[in-house]
Amino acid sequence: MEVLLGIAGKDFVILAASKAAMRGPTVLKAEDDKTRQLNKHTVMAFSGESGDTVQFAEYIQANAALYSMRNDTELSPSAVANFVRGELARSLRSRSPYTVNLLLGGIDPVTEKPHLYWVDYLASLAPLPYAAHGYAQYYCLSILDKHHHPDCSLEEGLALLTLCTDELKRRLPIDYKGMLVKVVTKDGVREIPVDNDKVVRSA
Amino acid sequence: MSNPFDINGGACVAMVGKDCVAIACDLRLGMQSLTISNNFPKIFNYAPSTYLGLTGLATDVNTVSDLFRYKVNMYRLREERDIAPQTLANLVSSSLYEKRFGPYFVSPVIAGINPTTGKPFICGFDSIGCIDFAKDFIVSGTASDQLFGTCEGLWEPDLAPEDLFETISQALLSAVDRDALSGWGAQVYIIEKDKVTQRLLKGRQD
Amino acid sequence: MDKLVAQYSRPPHQNEMYSEQEQQDLTASVPPLSLKFSLPPVDNRSAFLRAMTDDHSNPSCPIKLAHGTTTLAFRFQGGIIVCTDSRATAGNWIASQTVKKVIPVSRLSRGEDKKTNEPTPGLLGTMAGGAADCQYWLRYLSQQCTLHEIRHKRRITVAAASKILANLTYAYKGYGLSMGTMLAGMTPQEGPALYYIDSDGTRLPGNLFCVGSGQTFAYGVLDAEYKYELTEEEALNLGRRAILAAMHRDAYSGGFINLYHVKEEGWVHHGFDDMNPIFWDTKLQKGEFSNVTSAL
Repeated sequence: MEVLLGIAGKDFVILAASKAAMRGPTVLKAEDDKTRQLNKHTVMAFSGESGDTVQFAEYIQANAALYSMRNDTELSPSAVANFVRGELARSLRSRSPYTVNLLLGGIDPVTEKPHLYWVDYLASLAPLPYAAHGYAQYYCLSILDKHHHPDCSLEEGLALLTLCTDELKRRLPIDYKGMLVKVVTKDGVREIPVDNDKVVRSA
Repeated sequence: MSNPFDINGGACVAMVGKDCVAIACDLRLGMQSLTISNNFPKIFNYAPSTYLGLTGLATDVNTVSDLFRYKVNMYRLREERDIAPQTLANLVSSSLYEKRFGPYFVSPVIAGINPTTGKPFICGFDSIGCIDFAKDFIVSGTASDQLFGTCEGLWEPDLAPEDLFETISQALLSAVDRDALSGWGAQVYIIEKDKVTQRLLKGRQD
Repeated sequence: MDKLVAQYSRPPHQNEMYSEQEQQDLTASVPPLSLKFSLPPVDNRSAFLRAMTDDHSNPSCPIKLAHGTTTLAFRFQGGIIVCTDSRATAGNWIASQTVKKVIPVSRLSRGEDKKTNEPTPGLLGTMAGGAADCQYWLRYLSQQCTLHEIRHKRRITVAAASKILANLTYAYKGYGLSMGTMLAGMTPQEGPALYYIDSDGTRLPGNLFCVGSGQTFAYGVLDAEYKYELTEEEALNLGRRAILAAMHRDAYSGGFINLYHVKEEGWVHHGFDDMNPIFWDTKLQKGEFSNVTSAL
């Protein structure tokens, strides 16, 4: 019941991840951060097998940092996405594959265009204007189909995100403890405070 | 667990015409019943008139297309010429057989025109590299049963490029309309000796 | 004689409401089920049936049932909207794109040979799950509702009709029936009434239900804009748009959008329209579905 959502707009990408760290029937932590910043203009949100997720994300984070240090330049979001996909695909045919679903959001530092990539645990890669993982796909993609516009502003993007999280609060049987929201713009990555205490009434 | 060839869905078809070939694919990327993307082309270009279509497990479509981009680039640097479709066919076959005991879950299709002889060429493969040479058409993907039907019904020998486009498009669109896991638009390439035309088909979006 | 007259000339029952007890009595008058279905000669029938028919767990099962659906119904101030797709699938094979998943229930004339588009009195049932199960048992329900009308000289309430169906599915629980259905109707006693009934024996009244493999997609669109105060036009458009969303995202839903409006006087059909032109209109004119490419 982990929730990952991604929305690309005019000059930004929003990545949102649920804050509950669950194990069996227990919520171990209600302020979990399921995102890692890979370089100045790229963030990755992850869900999946506990243990695998953070290990894989931090392995990618370290390698992205290594590249930046060696070459004095950053990998573009598409380069990061293809690197991540390659590593996940390599692990898929190893003895113990990482079971990790990812969303990658970034702004290309040259063109300043937003990019959002959807990667599943099988290492299928798809560039998308909006994406989700887990049950959120089934509830939110239809909402995003209807209300998303490729050149929407950040305010519109956050309103769209609220539309999605409201639906999840309404229909998911488990409380996912609200969302942690990160936004990538040409100025870098920042966290956006959101109201997670809103009570949503069902029809 | 379900069949890896049926998880993501997708369809591809190649056809021979008179001094031309055509290759077409759908655009869906799904996870079982859920449609993730409607813009996931499955045809890749490796030389001016050599194309490779890949259906099956999406991660292997990505992996195999990247692998052949690397191999074909190495071939071009070493040989200082573009790869011919026949050569690519043998490269694909032996590369897939290298993974005989842990195969890539893809069904490749090649369409192209031989740069020296100017003759059209198509062929298909199973996932471990058995080549299927054909003089008429090759089908692959989750809609392959339907594609066999439509192609048998619509294809005829020596079609001109425009007629071949019409035939392959109708064959693909009709086939994917009867398959739940493929469709959501299509891409068609018509390959002639010195000219390639790419078209997007607005297929049904359900 | 007076007794006879009193028995057969009742005042109109415009403003009466059925009590729970009366509803019980009404359903009790239904003749007991004749279990005249032949059953497989095995110990565990439902397990046997599942092994033979469930193509999800066993793709090479010998009997493929038509599956996969999106259906929705919701109450609003002007009545009830009922909307469905029209696809039937057997595995990944699209068996039909023209299934009628809204089934008129009750009344001798079920509107099948109706020439004008005037409201037809009676209830509407929707079909999800096993196509044959839904068609057969809604026809059975239709028969019971008609008999009810003849016996009691007034239309059956949705509450009572749904109870007949729920009792029926509960009686067959464990035999392998597969149906998720909604009953919608408007009676003077109840106003707009909507019930969800499934093959587990669940029976729920409510404002808004979506059933089938594409239910979540329909819920997403519907919940975001649903309110009871919707106008008739808004409600029809929202129902249509929610089904369109599900057809687009769910591989096992698609085909034609079948739209109905249930009003005080009866139900009105608002078209059985191919989704594809509607989809491209929605995309190109309103700019929705920005994930779909329309140009190279």
